[in-house]
Amino acid sequence: MKELLGKVDEPGIIDCSCLLKGKDVIVSSFSKSKRNHETIAKQTFSYLFLNVAKQKTKHDEAHLEIGEQRLSGFLLKPGLVLVCLSDKNLNITKVRSHIQHIKHLILQSEVDKMLA
Amino acid sequence: MKDYKILFTGSVCSGKTTAIRSLSDIETLDTDASASDVTVRRKKNTTIAMDYGVLELTSDARVHLYGTPGQERFRFMWEMLACEFAHDAIGMVLMVDNTRKDPFRDIRFYAKEFSDYLLKRRLIIAVTHSDVEPSPDYQEYLSALKNLGIMTTVMFIDARDPRAVLGIVEELISAVERNIDWDSVCDRLLDNNGFTLDFYKPLYEETLLDAAMNKRGVLGAMHLGDEQEILCSNIDDKPTKNLMRNIDRLTDAISDKAGFLGKVNNVVLAGPDVQTLSVFNDKSQSLCLCSDRDISLPVLKQQASDLLQWSIENDYLA
Repeated sequence: MKELLGKVDEPGIIDCSCLLKGKDVIVSSFSKSKRNHETIAKQTFSYLFLNVAKQKTKHDEAHLEIGEQRLSGFLLKPGLVLVCLSDKNLNITKVRSHIQHIKHLILQSEVDKMLA
Repeated sequence: MKDYKILFTGSVCSGKTTAIRSLSDIETLDTDASASDVTVRRKKNTTIAMDYGVLELTSDARVHLYGTPGQERFRFMWEMLACEFAHDAIGMVLMVDNTRKDPFRDIRFYAKEFSDYLLKRRLIIAVTHSDVEPSPDYQEYLSALKNLGIMTTVMFIDARDPRAVLGIVEELISAVERNIDWDSVCDRLLDNNGFTLDFYKPLYEETLLDAAMNKRGVLGAMHLGDEQEILCSNIDDKPTKNLMRNIDRLTDAISDKAGFLGKVNNVVLAGPDVQTLSVFNDKSQSLCLCSDRDISLPVLKQQASDLLQWSIENDYLA
């Protein structure tokens, strides 16, 4: 799974990323200096997607602009969120299309793990 | 012929175009276009390139008057005016609209934007619309400017009144041009350009929600106070309203606990086949927008920022 995050992180697009299962970080490439961002992302996206589920809407991505950075959370399946940290001025479409490529690889890896 | 130049700048609706029109002996060059965004809340036209006028002072001295567009998206024109057309201007006039939510924020912003330009020339701060909103007053401006380390002249003017705007020109030019009969210039301007209160009539009729809805792609809007109370809303869907209020609550909590990471500017929720929901924060208020999925975030951010700048404290104008 750590190798997959290596594919998510892309210089100039995604600085670092992590995968949330429920409220837990199961794998992360956030450095020590960015650990606070990871904590904020964990609390924010678990709260947001819990609210989305409660309101029964179909939103599956969330972006939080904090300081000069942007935290993006992509709901891959219920309870599983991919979090990315990028520059706040980076076009969201770039982040979104980059994640689309990786999304199925992460989900496949999850399936493989369940079958193993 | 001695040619002097003065550059007028300031936020949207601060009165730059009007001031230049009040002074000009020639038909002014206005590059106005219909305001298609939030600016429409204040006026129907907005300057998109520059304003230009000429004021004859004597038979051998005149002043060229240049005005920048107010909207930040036309920033490239600010640079062009400062570096090309008005690079040798004698001074800059910063027009400050006193009805703005935080006029001092405008001063900080423009003083920073034109900091290099102001190294070599005088700045005059011309406060407009004080007939509508008298606060902050002259003393408050002086003490705020002192705190900002800006030593300059502050003048409260009505941009429609040639006498008032001419006072700014006199302040800048009289130090270098002593043989001007200012009274006769003023009489000529009053004869030619006149001064009626209908000359510029601001449009305050539209509400914040109207202005938000005027933007292409915006489908609904809600204005929240600092306790997440709904100040106004045209979003009917209760779950959407709840969701946005919860998001706003969340941003407050993050700001409290992780302020050291920086300000939480906005939160956006998106998805396939659903409206994009955005919450934009500004100190003690938030603007929530439901928008078409295809509208870009930078465009939304620009609109939200313009709207929030002068919403909550000016609602009595709506």
